[in-house]
Amino acid sequence: MLLNRDDWYETSRDLDWTLSYVDPAIAFPARWSGADGVPAEAWQAWDEPFRVSYRDYVRIQREKEAGVKAVSQALGRAGIYEKLDPAHVAASHLHMGTTCMVEHMAVTMQSRFCRFAPTPKWRNLGVFGMLDETRHTQLDMRFSHDLLKADPRFDWAQKAFHTNEWGVLAVKNFFDDAMLNADCVEAALATSLTVEHGFTNIQFVALAADAMAAGDINWSNLLSSIQTDEARHAQQGFPTLAVLVEHDPERAQKALDVAFWRSTRLFQTLTGPAMDYYTPLDQRKMSFKEFMLEWIVNHHERILEDYGLKKPWYWDQFLHSLENGHHAMHIGTWFWRPTLFWKPNAGVSKAEREWLNEKYPTWEDNWGVLWDEIIRNVNEGRVEDTLPQTLPSLCNLTQLPLGSAMSRHDLAPHQLVYKGRLYSFDSEISQWCFEQDPERYAGHQSLVDRFIGGQILPPDLGGALGYMGLTPEVMGDDVYNYAWARDYAPAPTA
Amino acid sequence: MALFPITGRFVGDFVPHLVPVDTDDTMDEIAGKVASFSVGHRVARRPGDPGYEVLLGGELLPATTTLAAVMAAREILPLQWFDVRFRETADA
Repeated sequence: MLLNRDDWYETSRDLDWTLSYVDPAIAFPARWSGADGVPAEAWQAWDEPFRVSYRDYVRIQREKEAGVKAVSQALGRAGIYEKLDPAHVAASHLHMGTTCMVEHMAVTMQSRFCRFAPTPKWRNLGVFGMLDETRHTQLDMRFSHDLLKADPRFDWAQKAFHTNEWGVLAVKNFFDDAMLNADCVEAALATSLTVEHGFTNIQFVALAADAMAAGDINWSNLLSSIQTDEARHAQQGFPTLAVLVEHDPERAQKALDVAFWRSTRLFQTLTGPAMDYYTPLDQRKMSFKEFMLEWIVNHHERILEDYGLKKPWYWDQFLHSLENGHHAMHIGTWFWRPTLFWKPNAGVSKAEREWLNEKYPTWEDNWGVLWDEIIRNVNEGRVEDTLPQTLPSLCNLTQLPLGSAMSRHDLAPHQLVYKGRLYSFDSEISQWCFEQDPERYAGHQSLVDRFIGGQILPPDLGGALGYMGLTPEVMGDDVYNYAWARDYAPAPTA
Repeated sequence: MALFPITGRFVGDFVPHLVPVDTDDTMDEIAGKVASFSVGHRVARRPGDPGYEVLLGGELLPATTTLAAVMAAREILPLQWFDVRFRETADA
């Protein structure tokens, strides 16, 4: 007689034994497990709600795969991609180049959970997480490979993380820290709970909705399918937080506070410009800030309250950054567009500007005046003055430009000397993150450090573009060839 | 004389730049180099061309002082932050 699922499930996911031939501290070293300071028996309370068996997992995943592939093939035959707005398409270039290999890094992180997590229930769920992330990598690769014939930028799904393109370095730096350099507990709090359960909603729900509205059903469908997996394996974060809060609440608070700020900065770069500038105006669902407030801010506040933690000390600064950070990243990426592997839309035509001012009441004073000078140069035939001549100064924590966290009115030096070297930060918050664990971050060289250290030759912007792996066929330029600026051109005189 | 990298912020712009300067450069020359990346690019020129001035830690530096002289008086590490703004002082 076959057993019912409930008869065997707990045994199957909680199978463990007492080690006798090896010291448990060697089999599960604290530097990998992150369980230091938490009694071994405390992990018995670790539980998650999805309760997936391997048989169920395979069946469900097979159905998801079949659905994604059917949509992809049907749309490929219909030639939908060729009809998409080019500004929207840039968002998919950006996503594939900066996300595909992150999915692959996540395979390694989940593998660490499978092997080193301090409870068998977690190790069991980690197996599904590992398979999920393998699937996501393959989905991105297949999507990009199918479209490679339409645009060589899709090659960057695989290539980007093998280059030194500055934005990719920033993304890689974050996930090296939150996935590969983190023990299981840190990774669960930073990646599973903060990124996957929180911030990926912006990329995989909001951007999926924008993509659907833009007619990019294939990409939207892919994002949504990935998100169904994220929702499950992100559950590794909550029980880990529950155990850690009980035994080391200070560590839990610090880990979450660092991860939340670093995630904010990352998604201000990856998703903010795509939502508020690349998505065609009539297809936008919500502003980036509105989505952040509804899906991230409320969500994070609730988690902190539920687990007895405090809001980060920088909460007010974070809310101020929501008004500004992605606008800074957008004008910066547009101005330094030859350093991108996608073609950004300026997104500041008169109609778009009206929308920006409605959504962000301080936009005109903080950002509009800077765009006015760019617009003047474009309309008076001085496009060369809208192109970069040197590198922006970069933050030694986020690897993003100094000044890209807040507005120009807030810009102030945040620098400190550590072991004889001067480090720069994009905000007081990033400096605080660095100060929590300076050895963790001090060795990394930003692109600017590499430039002045003689690693980039010739030592000029051209040398930097070559160092970043940017070639003419993918190098960024204004996606509409400055047509949007004609809104502001003086009316021709008769 | 030696090349020296600084973090140069033009007040009013949103981002500071990596600016290569020379230790023999005067503050006037450094101001011009920092301004060249912002003024006329994202920051509008001022009518009457008032010129520029340099601040270090909020302190206005004399226009003819060289970077070498500043470095002799205090520790200046590579990528030190300097502010440059449109000239506000008549006798600088």
